[in-house]
Amino acid sequence: MSTLGQLVFSGILIGGIYALMSIGLTLIFGVLRIVNFAHGEFLMISMYGAWAITHYLGFNSYVAALAIVPAMFLFGALVHRLIINPALDKPHLVVVFATMGLSIFLQNLALMLMTADLLDVPPIFSNSITIGPFFFKAELLLGFALTILCTIALQWMIRSTYLGKAIRATVQDGEAAMLMGIPVPRIFLITFSLGSALVGLAACIMLPLFSVFPTVGLNFVLIAFVIVVLGGMGSIEGAMLGGICIGVVQSLSSYYVAPAFGQMFFFILFLLVMIFRPNGLFGQKGASLIGMND
Amino acid sequence: MNSYVWRVIKSGVIILGLVLASITIRVNAQEPIRIGVLLPVTGPFAKSGIEALEAMQIAREMINERGGIKGRKIVYLQGDATNPNAAISETERLITKDGIKITTGSFASPIAIAVSQAAERYGVFHWETTGAAEIITRRGFKNTFQVGAPARKYSQAAVDFIIEDLSKRLNKPVKDLRIALLWENRAFGKSVGDGVRLYSEAKGIKLIYDEGYDQFATDMTPIVQKLKDVQPDVLIAVSFPNDAILFQRKAKEFNLNVAAFIGVSAGYSSPDLRASLGDMVNGIFVSDFPPKVNVNVLKPETRKVADEFYKRYEDKFKRPPAGHAAASFSAIWALFTEVFPKAKTFEPAELREIALKLDLPEGTLVNGSGIKFTNFDWPDEPKDAGQNLRAAIGIWQWTKIGNEQVFPPKLATREAAQVPLPVWSNR
Repeated sequence: MSTLGQLVFSGILIGGIYALMSIGLTLIFGVLRIVNFAHGEFLMISMYGAWAITHYLGFNSYVAALAIVPAMFLFGALVHRLIINPALDKPHLVVVFATMGLSIFLQNLALMLMTADLLDVPPIFSNSITIGPFFFKAELLLGFALTILCTIALQWMIRSTYLGKAIRATVQDGEAAMLMGIPVPRIFLITFSLGSALVGLAACIMLPLFSVFPTVGLNFVLIAFVIVVLGGMGSIEGAMLGGICIGVVQSLSSYYVAPAFGQMFFFILFLLVMIFRPNGLFGQKGASLIGMND
Repeated sequence: MNSYVWRVIKSGVIILGLVLASITIRVNAQEPIRIGVLLPVTGPFAKSGIEALEAMQIAREMINERGGIKGRKIVYLQGDATNPNAAISETERLITKDGIKITTGSFASPIAIAVSQAAERYGVFHWETTGAAEIITRRGFKNTFQVGAPARKYSQAAVDFIIEDLSKRLNKPVKDLRIALLWENRAFGKSVGDGVRLYSEAKGIKLIYDEGYDQFATDMTPIVQKLKDVQPDVLIAVSFPNDAILFQRKAKEFNLNVAAFIGVSAGYSSPDLRASLGDMVNGIFVSDFPPKVNVNVLKPETRKVADEFYKRYEDKFKRPPAGHAAASFSAIWALFTEVFPKAKTFEPAELREIALKLDLPEGTLVNGSGIKFTNFDWPDEPKDAGQNLRAAIGIWQWTKIGNEQVFPPKLATREAAQVPLPVWSNR
């Protein structure tokens, strides 16, 4: 019983981390209707940034977030300006190839500049927290709490602020939004930057848990894509729950079936959701079509 | 007079022609020997691939400074074998576009499988330095030579170490030891895992846990939990660097303690491990190519080469070479100094004949290996043509300051220490 509990708790916590890493992707997908294939590499460069701050300036990686999040916001703006925006009105495949090209470029740039060495930061808390028979890594608990906080803040922003309303209007009907005086291109720019900033935050939280190397993004980006689709493309709380689902399914199936099948099981879950709820667990009907008609 | 001048001119022209011709011939004679080096220098295997390349570049510098092979310099043409597909196309590119007839590399087993396949298709001589999966030399290929140890040797070293050394240190007969096996489920990990299973069965040992996992897994909780359930005395883990680090951290988090931990190859032998885990690595045993062996096992002339290699490597990169780097150097140096000097045409068929005739005792290569290839006449394993029966594999141990070879006794620089391994709170 305690084993089952441990597995479920661990699954939820790691799932929270997966979710945080996917929220940026889902936000960008939900608003711009593009899939950023360089998402994993955004994570990777943010992790390198956080590592550099930790390593050279001696701050811990949570403090590094104060610099990395705004830096990634600017980086996102730059990428949007140079790569995404020019490709937006072209056929859909152009964005796919553009972001894929960016992904390969960033990976190899990192390889040249940082070499293939695995880099780590020293653990922030030296021991894990023991509650009854359960073990928790403090960094993981903290990461989970921050993910929840982040989800709530983002939801509030989307629902209650003027910017959020403008984003929602853009999602519902870009043309009408533009006629109402909403600067849609700027909303795209802000959303893309915001999505990138969120990856930056995720990176700072993940750095104490995972090593960083040029292809680290590849290990996570597949999970992120599954979470985004599972949660309903563009849904933030969906991504949260999707992440937790993946974490728990992976944890339980790896233990009770075999570790080699962990990934297979969450893809089975993914296929089932696709068959029975094609819009994802929380996606609105036709979500993937809104915005493409204009 | 005129005719005399004419004759002088004519003979002058002839002499000039001859001189020119001889120069051309000499230029031909000094044409470099071109070798296709297929290693992953980008992508997930880049870290170790680059380390292997660096070691092989030192070998090239050393041989060229010694005047090359019969006056011919060695030139590398590189292919970036990031993954098996890239490995095939890069190998084909070097063969078809650049006319390469000798290939080498390729660090990781999946890449070695692909490179040797492409090379074999074109009848190109492939000198595999470190790829270990058994399948590399079990497809009946004529031109593939696996100089590093085949996977079962990694397995046998680990199991022999348990039987001959650990069981005494732990004061437990081997049959009472609880031995667990964890392997990453791609070509190398599976191959070694199969080897451990078969060899321990043959030795009458029953594994209490035996499972494969995906090396790109992001969460080690279920695996560590399972191992906690079975409580092994000795854990053998076949891993790559990132998963090895994730596993050790999770083991610490969950307080999974074992009396001895034997990591196999790339993950546990990677120099990154200490940078990432710090003192957590101390006491971990590693079954792999020896990074540095007891010099007494080396032949005197090999000792000189070894000294030069280690000095150059450490001066250049400010760290000692990892086992696979030393193995890459050893293998390519053997190609330069044992195979090439006997070659005239440098055609694959000729090189193959020379390679099959090699009979070098252990201690000939810098990492303690010798060379004796199996060939098609070998009775037991008819398809093992090109497996090196004298490749050195042993066990070394992470220590506070570096590493020490601890097994087999012949290669050892020190006895095994920290057995049983202190629990996490004392490490």
